Amino acid sequence: MRHEILIVGRGGQGILLLGRILGLAASKYSGLYVTGSEAYASETRGGMSRVDLIIADSPEDIDYIRVRKANIVLFMFPYDLEGYARIMSDDAFIFLNSTYVKEHPYVTRRAFSVPYNEVAEQVVGTSRVSNIVALGHLVARTGVLGDKQVEEALKEIIPEKWLDLNMKALRAGLEIR
Amino acid sequence: MVVGSVYERGAHPLDKYLRVTRLPHIWCPGCGLGIALGGILRAIDRRISEGMLKKENVVFVTGIGCSARTSFYANFDAAHTLHGRAIAFATGAKLAKPELDVIVIGGDGDIAGIGGNHLIHAARRNMDLIVIMITNFVYAMTGGQVAPTTPQGIYTTTTPHGNPEFPLNVIKLVSSLNPNYVARASVTHPPLVEQFMYRALGMKGFRFVEILSTCPEVFGRHVGLRDSVTLYNTLRSKVVVKHNPGVEESEPDWEKGLVAGEFLVRDRPGYLEMLRRR
Amino acid sequence: MRKAFISGNMAIAEGAIIAGMKFFAGYPITPASDIMEYLVERLNEVGGVVVQLEDEITSINAVIGASWAGAKSMTATSGPGFSLMVEALGLAVISETPLVVADIMRTGPSTGVPTKTSQSDVLQVRHGAHGDHIIPVLVPWSVQDAFELTVKAFNIAESLRTPVILLSDAVIAHLWESAVLKDPGEIEVVDRKKPMVPPSEYLPYKPDEDLIPPMASFGDGYNVIVESLVHDEHGYYRQDSDTYRRLITRLTSKIMSNVDKVFEVESYYVNDSKYVVVSYGSTARAALAAVRVLRSSGVKIGLLRLKTLWPLKPEALREPCRNADLVFVAENNTGKIVADVERFVKNAEVVSLPLLDLEVPTPDEIVEGVKEWL
Repeated sequence: MRHEILIVGRGGQGILLLGRILGLAASKYSGLYVTGSEAYASETRGGMSRVDLIIADSPEDIDYIRVRKANIVLFMFPYDLEGYARIMSDDAFIFLNSTYVKEHPYVTRRAFSVPYNEVAEQVVGTSRVSNIVALGHLVARTGVLGDKQVEEALKEIIPEKWLDLNMKALRAGLEIR
Repeated sequence: MVVGSVYERGAHPLDKYLRVTRLPHIWCPGCGLGIALGGILRAIDRRISEGMLKKENVVFVTGIGCSARTSFYANFDAAHTLHGRAIAFATGAKLAKPELDVIVIGGDGDIAGIGGNHLIHAARRNMDLIVIMITNFVYAMTGGQVAPTTPQGIYTTTTPHGNPEFPLNVIKLVSSLNPNYVARASVTHPPLVEQFMYRALGMKGFRFVEILSTCPEVFGRHVGLRDSVTLYNTLRSKVVVKHNPGVEESEPDWEKGLVAGEFLVRDRPGYLEMLRRR
Repeated sequence: MRKAFISGNMAIAEGAIIAGMKFFAGYPITPASDIMEYLVERLNEVGGVVVQLEDEITSINAVIGASWAGAKSMTATSGPGFSLMVEALGLAVISETPLVVADIMRTGPSTGVPTKTSQSDVLQVRHGAHGDHIIPVLVPWSVQDAFELTVKAFNIAESLRTPVILLSDAVIAHLWESAVLKDPGEIEVVDRKKPMVPPSEYLPYKPDEDLIPPMASFGDGYNVIVESLVHDEHGYYRQDSDTYRRLITRLTSKIMSNVDKVFEVESYYVNDSKYVVVSYGSTARAALAAVRVLRSSGVKIGLLRLKTLWPLKPEALREPCRNADLVFVAENNTGKIVADVERFVKNAEVVSLPLLDLEVPTPDEIVEGVKEWL
């Protein structure tokens, strides 16, 4: 098995954290081999932020560190929506945060448009965990990792006092139909 | 050889602290470094005989220059490192093995010129080191260029029309930071060297001792005092020993005199203690 | 053994701890600072000291001092900081001080692009310090590699009494990957050789048959001399050609005669290959992908991935290229290691693929570069 996951968003949306949680869930808790890289503008907030994750059974299956044919893509913010099509497979799962992505060219069976900010706001009471809602949705739809493994990773990374909030957000995401 | 046989017999009481096989030393006749090293070793000897200091824990760290050659002759663990970097080296040794008593010895160019930034920050941290700066007012080993301590107006090979710069008052600089001890001695008053070194050895934190010294071969030649006795007596006549002088009295003044004494004595926790408190 | 998902810089820190490092001094610089930030918590837990000093000059000189005080010691920096360290590297060479410098390459010259990657300092680490010397340089291409080569760097430093440079780059520094953090016992950890003779018989620079002098530390009662001048076996300054020649020859030979301990290369598909790509560090990740792309279209091409840049082992480069017509050297600089590959590989034409990318080079660039010659 091999997955290439591309996550695009805006600084401050928790894109890098999302990448770390997915990577930890896949490597430490699912026994898979993960290569993750991050790219971001030097501003802490506001600039484009991108995570590339490649997940495979063994290190031999991974060479280049960047996504070349993503089969799972999450747009938390509409940066270069069309341009990224160059590095996406035709049947990729595409998740679009419709809170910000109002228009997009992806009308396939595997494209899902969900207002993650609003869902987070409604279920958890704060849009700050929209990234974790999206994570839940992505995991549930693609089956790339088990829910349990993602929960374990969340527990390891998220500080105690924010954990309940994030677990709630994850479940909200997992339950999106 | 007469000289060699004297050393072999262990004629001098400080021979146990010297690598006698490396003698005779390279210092010129009339150089003050022998007096300075003698004072330092006598102080160490007193602390060792009192049981306050272990010989195997003493480390001499020096940079480059005439004063740095003390690490050649002292029979302790020794490091003859890079020009200006003795304090940096010593900082690492002390932090890695706190039971060591690390003593940095250097000239004014080594300590306050190229090594000035290390001096500032070690004093700022109150790093647990003794730094001895032996001031001869000139770069001697390289042939007599201007030093940060060279008095204004003096001829050197790189200030042929007289030094246009203001000299650095290192006592004032170090005192403005957080050292536990700042003193100035002179080779013209050997007991002071021993006394201040002895005191520094009994303290923690950053301890700075400046020793004014004579360099007849280079500095003496520049100022027209080539004869070592004349240079020695001239420096001696300029040194004013004071009991607990104020830092404001430390400004080297060749007319009014060069004040020697203990400018600052404190008992603040040293860097190692602060580190352990974290 | 622990499984982890960590960055390349964290892997360097973890490797250093496993190797037994007890002293780290550094000065903040992108993209190396997070090694110090990570260690400041972790090294305390195992009884070591981490200290931020006033500049890189202080840092490496403190590391030399700490190593003589008996602690396995390290610093980490990037190009501008490394430039400040080269004088002290020479001191570490001549005084035979074990230490590790992690140099995380970023774009230069000068301040360059501090956050972006490069491989343009591969000759600086070889030739930066004045005087004759050779310092082992290891270059990781993954997080696991960063961990293991850091341990290896300490082992070489301690066993050969030499500074060792772990030459990473901004891409590997902040790459996050699955890693297996092995404990001592699962991975070899070497300590320096101590004197077996009493202090009265000890000469600090007298080598054993393996050319390495046993090393006493400050405080051991051996009256050691750390000497930056050319010295004899006592550590006494000598100005004669014989002493100088003997010292320099030994300092170089002790590295070169242990080239098998230091040099490592990995090969992929080279056995049947008419074409070979030589690459290292983050660029080699793109090179391997490029080789696979080309092989899938029928091109008989392989990869030699250098884990050691210095010293190189000529036959280890020559042998895998014996059936090759063309050897490409892909590196993210104007073409530097290619000069040595050309020197050693005589039977094939050697082609430089200089890439000047601020990001990790892409497989496409290498594929296109190779295709021009097919």
